[in-house]
Amino acid sequence: MNNGSTINHQSSIVNRLRLWSLKKSIWVFHVNTGACNNCDIEIVNLLTPKFDVERFGIKLVGSPRHADALLVTGGGTRQAAIRLREVYRQTAKPCVVFCMGACACGMGIFEKGYHMAGPIDSIIREVDPHAIIAYVPGCPPKPQAMIMGVVKVLAALEPKESYATERVGQAVVAGAG
Amino acid sequence: MIDAMQNVFWILIFPGFVFTLAVGLLASWLVRKVSALVQYRVGPPVYQPVADVMKLMGKEILIPQEAHRSIFVMAPLAGLSGVLLLSAVLWLATARIDYVGDIIVAAYLMIFPSLALILGSSASGSPHAAVGAGREMKLVLSYELPLVLAILVVIIKTAGLTEPGEQLSLAAISQHTPVLSVSGALAFLVALLCVQAKLGFVPFDIAESETELASGVLIEYSGALLGVWKLMQAMMLVALPLFLVIVFLGGIGLSGLSILWGIGKFVLILVLVILIKNTNPRVRIDQAMRFFWVYCGTVMVVAVVLASLGNVYNISWL
Amino acid sequence: MQPSEWDKQLSPVRDRLAGIECTRENRVFLPCEAEHVCEICRFLFEELRWRFVISTGIDAEDCFEVLHHFADDASGAIITVKAFIRDRQAPQIDSITPLIPAAEWIEREMHDLLGIRFRNHPNLQRLILADDWPEGVYPLRKEVQT
Repeated sequence: MNNGSTINHQSSIVNRLRLWSLKKSIWVFHVNTGACNNCDIEIVNLLTPKFDVERFGIKLVGSPRHADALLVTGGGTRQAAIRLREVYRQTAKPCVVFCMGACACGMGIFEKGYHMAGPIDSIIREVDPHAIIAYVPGCPPKPQAMIMGVVKVLAALEPKESYATERVGQAVVAGAG
Repeated sequence: MIDAMQNVFWILIFPGFVFTLAVGLLASWLVRKVSALVQYRVGPPVYQPVADVMKLMGKEILIPQEAHRSIFVMAPLAGLSGVLLLSAVLWLATARIDYVGDIIVAAYLMIFPSLALILGSSASGSPHAAVGAGREMKLVLSYELPLVLAILVVIIKTAGLTEPGEQLSLAAISQHTPVLSVSGALAFLVALLCVQAKLGFVPFDIAESETELASGVLIEYSGALLGVWKLMQAMMLVALPLFLVIVFLGGIGLSGLSILWGIGKFVLILVLVILIKNTNPRVRIDQAMRFFWVYCGTVMVVAVVLASLGNVYNISWL
Repeated sequence: MQPSEWDKQLSPVRDRLAGIECTRENRVFLPCEAEHVCEICRFLFEELRWRFVISTGIDAEDCFEVLHHFADDASGAIITVKAFIRDRQAPQIDSITPLIPAAEWIEREMHDLLGIRFRNHPNLQRLILADDWPEGVYPLRKEVQT
């Protein structure tokens, strides 16, 4: 049930439509697991009219159940790790986790801190080993970097077939994706 | 047989379910696009609401452990069917197929979506949803009175203008334009604000306030059920302005240029709703209650008196 | 202000203090022993009407130090009462929360992280450590390695 990779890559009209609509309409939910707020400010900057992410279909929602992407900031503190796992379980699959900032990617300067439970990806993988996790490093990452992260994730959601090197009967050069 | 097939076509395809849904999704895109232009940015592409709903249909449905399962699942479907019936009544009235009392049916069916929202959020088993349900209940209590009084003003005005023997129905009302009189204009303004509240738009989107209540009434919904709620909201964007057009602005004509004129009136109301949405902050629930009961209620009572006076003394512009 | 003027202003509690150190202009330290901290803070807060800013807890090698910072907004000076707790095994000090309610949370934080017990504190519970943090492990003590 808690399988992040419930993106069914078998080729069929329904699955293609599902993938298309997921790529065109990503609703994000912002989770702060103990950040210093710089990354949070940059995320809020991202959602202002200046960068206008609504034209990509990205919308900020107020409940994790509505979300397709979790924007997680902050290193995983012990206190927040329990809550983050709950929020991930409440997010309707298929979903993507974005680790925003150096602290989320790998605890950053708080690596040796007594209050850390681990980087975000280890916390998420305790719940779902197959979770789709994207890393956007930076301290804080620029909004342009976050948009780039989203674009790369959208490209990576494509089925592996588009990277196929061989079809029956003919050899095909791998696509650039 | 052919008759039944034609009726099924009218109800399900045009201008029933599918057509209203398509126009509704287009209207909700229009809302987002105009809001974007007002905020000096480019908005979403035209297929965005379609992509949103399709994506929601493809996600898993999570039902909280403490939710009341059957009501949780049935509430969005009930809301959707309510809006479907409402749009059917309104399209029938546009096609001049009417019956006595269809205006009462329409006013009654308009409460359905809010009622379904209250039921669904109460069944969610979440304190946020419970607070949202309470606020939605208070909001419905607030705006129903001015809305009914506004419809009453229109009925009073039209009753004076219909021939004896002609039944007072939506189709009859849509022959006249009550907005071109003082009481009618007041009633139109108040009804527009009530429609704003019913659509759940700022300044009255108290129930689904994202920043305050973490999506309030819809907090526990996900996947296909949330998709049904979004479909319901899209269809309300067609049904409610259409109701305003029929009751106040003279309806949508049936031939040639009057069809375009009718569509123009519909778009005008939609644009008014969007502009009010983009230029106002959200109000608190007690401010909303005071606004509807005290200010709109008083204005409506005055409008009813003016309309009756105009009726009795045959002054048509009152 | 000159050191002599500080001396004059603090004369009622001068015997409780171990000295008056003016490290910079407008920065004064008042070292004292742990048992006098309540009387000194009461004098500074109620008689001289200085504003309580924040507190600090320090694990010095041979003792604990609890610093209460006050601000004299008229002259712009920051005055710090530096209380030494000599008992490293079971550090205790009187809480100034009954006198200054604003000190409640910072004393809870010092208790959480350094293990200093504040007598007469109305609500000495865990404040900032995680719920599943083991009892008795005080992270900011020098002997705790992370």
